[in-house]
Amino acid sequence: MRISTSQIFDSGARGIGRNQVDLFKLQNQLSTGRKVLTPEDDPIASAQALVLTQSKSVSAQFLKNQSDAQGKLGLVEAKVASVGDLLQSVRERLVQAGSTTLTNSDRSYIKEELEARFSELMGIANAQDGEGNYMFSGYQGAVRPFSAIATGASYQGDDGQRFLQVAASRQMATNVTGNDLFESIRNGNGSFVTSAVTTGTGAPVNTGSGVIDQGSVTDPALISTAMATYPGGVQIQFSVVGGVTSYQLFDNPAGTTAYTAPQTFTPGQSIKLERTTAPASDFGASVVIEGSPANGDTFTIKPSTNQSMFASLRNAINTLTTGIGGSYTSTEYSNRLAESLGDIDQALENVNKIRSTVGSNLKELDSLTNADEDLQLQYSSSISSLQDLDYAQAITEMSKKQLQLEAAQLSFKQVSQLSLFNIL
Amino acid sequence: MSTGIYSIGVSGLAAAQLGLLATEHNVVNANTPGYTRQRTVQATNIAINTGAGALGQGVHVQTIERMYDRYLTAQVNSAQTTLSGIESYYTQIKQIDNLLADPSAGLTPALQDFFSGVQQVASNPSLLSARESMISSSTTLVNRFQSISLRLDEMAEEVNGKIQDAVTSVNSYASQIADLNQRIIISEGTYGQPANDLLDQRDQLINDLNKLIKVTTSTNSNGSFNVFIGTGQQLVIGNQAMIMTASASSADPGKIAVGLQTAAGGSMELPENLVTGGELGGLLSFRSQTLERATNELGRIAASVALTFNAQHALGMDLQGNANGSAGFNADYFNVANFTPTVSANTHNSGNLLVTSQLIDPPPFGTELNDGNFYTNLTTSDYRLVFNGGTSYTLTRLSDNTNFALTATPPGTLTQASEGISITLGTGAATAGDSYLIQPTQNAAKNISLNPVIAADARAIAAAVPFRTSATATNLGTGAISAGKTVPGFSTDPGFNVANLASNITVTFSGTPAAGTLSFAGLPATAQIIVKLPGQPESTTAAVPPIAYQQGMTVSVAGMSFTFTGQPVANDTFTLARNTAATADGRNALALGQLQTKNTMSGAKATFQGAYAEMVASNGIKTRELKVTGEAQQAVLDQAQASRDALSGVNLDEEAANMIRFQQAYQASAKLLEVGKTLFDTVLQLG
Repeated sequence: MRISTSQIFDSGARGIGRNQVDLFKLQNQLSTGRKVLTPEDDPIASAQALVLTQSKSVSAQFLKNQSDAQGKLGLVEAKVASVGDLLQSVRERLVQAGSTTLTNSDRSYIKEELEARFSELMGIANAQDGEGNYMFSGYQGAVRPFSAIATGASYQGDDGQRFLQVAASRQMATNVTGNDLFESIRNGNGSFVTSAVTTGTGAPVNTGSGVIDQGSVTDPALISTAMATYPGGVQIQFSVVGGVTSYQLFDNPAGTTAYTAPQTFTPGQSIKLERTTAPASDFGASVVIEGSPANGDTFTIKPSTNQSMFASLRNAINTLTTGIGGSYTSTEYSNRLAESLGDIDQALENVNKIRSTVGSNLKELDSLTNADEDLQLQYSSSISSLQDLDYAQAITEMSKKQLQLEAAQLSFKQVSQLSLFNIL
Repeated sequence: MSTGIYSIGVSGLAAAQLGLLATEHNVVNANTPGYTRQRTVQATNIAINTGAGALGQGVHVQTIERMYDRYLTAQVNSAQTTLSGIESYYTQIKQIDNLLADPSAGLTPALQDFFSGVQQVASNPSLLSARESMISSSTTLVNRFQSISLRLDEMAEEVNGKIQDAVTSVNSYASQIADLNQRIIISEGTYGQPANDLLDQRDQLINDLNKLIKVTTSTNSNGSFNVFIGTGQQLVIGNQAMIMTASASSADPGKIAVGLQTAAGGSMELPENLVTGGELGGLLSFRSQTLERATNELGRIAASVALTFNAQHALGMDLQGNANGSAGFNADYFNVANFTPTVSANTHNSGNLLVTSQLIDPPPFGTELNDGNFYTNLTTSDYRLVFNGGTSYTLTRLSDNTNFALTATPPGTLTQASEGISITLGTGAATAGDSYLIQPTQNAAKNISLNPVIAADARAIAAAVPFRTSATATNLGTGAISAGKTVPGFSTDPGFNVANLASNITVTFSGTPAAGTLSFAGLPATAQIIVKLPGQPESTTAAVPPIAYQQGMTVSVAGMSFTFTGQPVANDTFTLARNTAATADGRNALALGQLQTKNTMSGAKATFQGAYAEMVASNGIKTRELKVTGEAQQAVLDQAQASRDALSGVNLDEEAANMIRFQQAYQASAKLLEVGKTLFDTVLQLG
């Protein structure tokens, strides 16, 4: 084999050059700490890293949204809790007001206290968050949601839920609307409202001492169907014939279509709500009437409607204001107070329901945050393993390349000095 | 032994002297590029036949030969042209690779900041500072699109410039080769001996030419070379050189195409696939396979971001309560006025039909009642529209030559929804065979900008949804209505317009729970009701008759979509109302934010980030491929060069030995003369 002098020089220079390129790249990697300097070094890894970077930033955004949501819901939770406390104390006062030993002036003290509670509730309902938005006005953040009127309060907000994207496929409402918290409260026991016929001027008023309770539901599905089928509700009519009190269920409000045959009444007995005439149906509920209803006394059972918490409170205050001996008999006073108590219980239940929804949302946020924090770590370590340099390996490689370069330089020096012309 | 002793000695002297001269020529040209070592070819002179036998008459030099093998040289040239092509491609693509790689300058951080800005507005729709921050991150995104696009445009200009420079060099080499051909013909014709150094120079020029473009050669009987490019297009014939041209392409005036000058002085454009190898081949491949694709891909992302964002934004309501139909409403968040695809009529067209093109509105995901978000069908390809005569047009997607047959009579519109573009045929008439180049996304990244009104007033961001729903407080049933969202208008359905909701729309439930119906009061006359029952396809009915109620049903009227749950009872009502004073509503901003993670591109198959990552990956893969094949090709070239050098290169040690050899031969021949003189003197002394 023959070799030309230029080949010796060319290959020597090329070898040194190649080693220098490798060293330069290693040096760059070491100084940046990145394995992949440009996509060329590992195209798939760099594309993956880009996608992971986005996933990481999206997850970071979710974390931020979760913390926002947590802040907002935390504030809502605190307000809802104070509504609950307030209702609890209202309830205690109402129970106290039911005591027969109280005088009307005692009741007026309780009434004063309830007035104060009413204002307090109004304050909570018109609370603003840190950004100056009303918390309970739905979408209309700048609109004051509640203002007091004679029958309670009027709501100027809407049903708007302020959502935040807290996970890829989860939007969480970070507010509770005034409607949900204060307005849309099922009165009565939530399914139906019992009342003695006491309302309205000129209407027949019960003369007996019968007091109806709120009723109890044994089968929610049946009562729900029944209330939808009979939106007017039913009425229980009493008749006293020859000292024997009996009751019968009729349609409401006409009271002309009999739903059951007359049955003998024993005070405190459970009266089953049903229709035995065609089409027969079981309502899945019953009521208890204490005391002795007089002949012609009527009690109605109507489907629950939504009643504002403010209206319930206002009703209670009005009942206390009138007191016994005014236009109310003691029975009517008791019936009205029982109704108010029922309404406040419903309001409390509604508050508790919302508290538990908010609570479970907060809990969900906690677990989402935990998951996303884990994900952050996961993404970081994935991105790192795609992009970051293994220093130990790189430094070893560096020493190796250094050695190679030195060898190449040295051998080139030796070989290039060999020339016959030096000897001749 | 009369004069023989002198003449043989002298012939030896002459031969040794020529040998020494050749050696010296080799030594001094050891580093001359393209030099082929030379050596003398010696032979004996014709012998004189005598009675004592044939008497040798000394030596002579037949010729000075080049240690040359044309196959080895051809191998070097072929390896060289491939390597030069790869290297010039690599040099260019490496710039894009570096541009995309930069973690702070790439598109990724800008895109992420942009969507963070959207999310901030979704979280705090009433905060002006959040809105300003969204405007600011949008401006950053727009600037990033523009700056990357600008850099790519600069590269396109650079490629144009380099092509022109390379063509100038090719012409220079071609004329030098033609000139050398002429000199070789004269030299060899006159002396009958090879013109070694001229041949070397010509070989070197062929090698240089191969660095610019792949050429093939053939040898004529008079020793001249013919040089061809492509599939046999003549560049040099004997002593005649053709002229290569670099001028604006007939299909796309923005790029420089390579051609050959015709006899009439015009230019015949060479198809790009004929220009292979060398710097020119590398530049053309880079431009068509990488640069144009990257420009289009970036434009496609920009256009998709803008179109889908605008489509969703148009469904919203701004902080001042303006929505579609209000005088002050700004439907477009990004300014898309400049997004018109570039249409270039081929300069060879004989008709004068005016053709323009538009990007079509992005379709919504799935059917109308599904997510309100949108996607685009745009591709990274350019298109060619050819008129076939009559009403027939063929649209060709140039990336894979897929054809779409379209018909229209001008003035008319051709729509190809699967490609996301429509084409308007304007005034004038086309002649069969006329063609137009359509580049839908090429300029999108360059032209993207924010709607100036929104940029100046952040309140104009449509973060809210223009209507709200409510269930009436006196309802007795458990029926509930969802918050609702605006959806795009559909067939004859008018879509959301504030005029359609001038007064509230009331939905009333009637009948029994088992057989209930919903009736609508306050609907615009043309409105249709679109109903989707759970797990079933949508159906459309006219507005007037009541529709059957089912729990979980989604209903859309006049561009408003909402879902019912629970069981209403007779006379329960629900209301759709204008969402006035809705400063805390961020529903539309949430929908805008969802665009980040939805498959909004490539016909609902890729996210914005995914498309960008794919672009980075495909560039990276190509760069890496070029680097690896470049290294392999360098090895091939080294090998070919080594084989050639092993034969043709100068080895100084060898020349040193030859020098000694010829020196000694010279000394020996001189000694012969001295011996002859001594012999002659001896004879003279005898006398």
